[in-house]
Amino acid sequence: MNMQIKPGAASPHVKTQSLICGTLVTTDLKRARRMYEDVLDMECVEPARGLMYVREKGHRPGEPKHGKPYWVLEVRQAPEINVPQEMLNHWGFEAPSQAAVDEAFAKVTANKAEYGIVRLQKPFFRNGSYAIYMTDMDSNWWEVEYRTPDLIYTALREKGDQFAD
Amino acid sequence: MAEPLVKNEFFSHGTYECNNMPATRRFLVDFLGLDIVRPLKEAQYMWKGGSWSVVCVCVQDGDAKEQGPQNHFKLSVASDADVDAARAAALAHKDDYGIKRVFDIEETDGHRSFKLLDLNNTWWEISTVSQAYYDEVFARGDARA
Repeated sequence: MNMQIKPGAASPHVKTQSLICGTLVTTDLKRARRMYEDVLDMECVEPARGLMYVREKGHRPGEPKHGKPYWVLEVRQAPEINVPQEMLNHWGFEAPSQAAVDEAFAKVTANKAEYGIVRLQKPFFRNGSYAIYMTDMDSNWWEVEYRTPDLIYTALREKGDQFAD
Repeated sequence: MAEPLVKNEFFSHGTYECNNMPATRRFLVDFLGLDIVRPLKEAQYMWKGGSWSVVCVCVQDGDAKEQGPQNHFKLSVASDADVDAARAAALAHKDDYGIKRVFDIEETDGHRSFKLLDLNNTWWEISTVSQAYYDEVFARGDARA
């Protein structure tokens, strides 16, 4: 059933050009950076004390994703985590295959303590996604998932609404 | 470490809780100007300007979690005037869209912005920050103390 794609409003109140960034906090920027780089394979930069920007790799000149827009995480160091995050407040990555999710699970399991991974869930299927979830010492949740090509987020956009209110 | 523990292809999504799908969709589309699709009964996916999405999950059994301003999503607009107009609209249509709080305008690193708390207890920042700004910051590298 392909109902219809509901495009954005013709004249919304906010003239949004891009959903460009998400923000989160850590109590230790150095620890967080090590985890983001060594575990999650992200690119990090600290333009000012207590502030870090994070993006996926590949956007530097000459790299495969150069010129493509990217999503940024803005991470700020705080003395404490005032609002602990939960599973429905996670950040997610697409893995190249189901085997890559299994491999990630095995490798993270073996290095949990070194990188301060507090909790790691075994791979499981849900809604066409094969995924693991992990939490870090700042209560942030991270998902690594594999979706078949017809179920990746951009493909689902093309299919349009599958449910109405 | 030579090889990362996780091999990922791309950063695909963030998440957002709601407890009223139609009202939330109206706010996201008509007020914030996002694109949205509903592939699942319990979730709709929003996006604007890139391949990543934010998955809006309906919490059936209560209110969406109340986030703090430190955990928010940021929207890019083209000009200072767009920020000012967005804030004026947030104040004017607060009750209509269930907007709970609207902060004052801020100027940070040359970017004009303000934050609002929406009907689902999630904070949004409307800002003139741009991809070009982030390109420049990543190209410059770490600031060394």
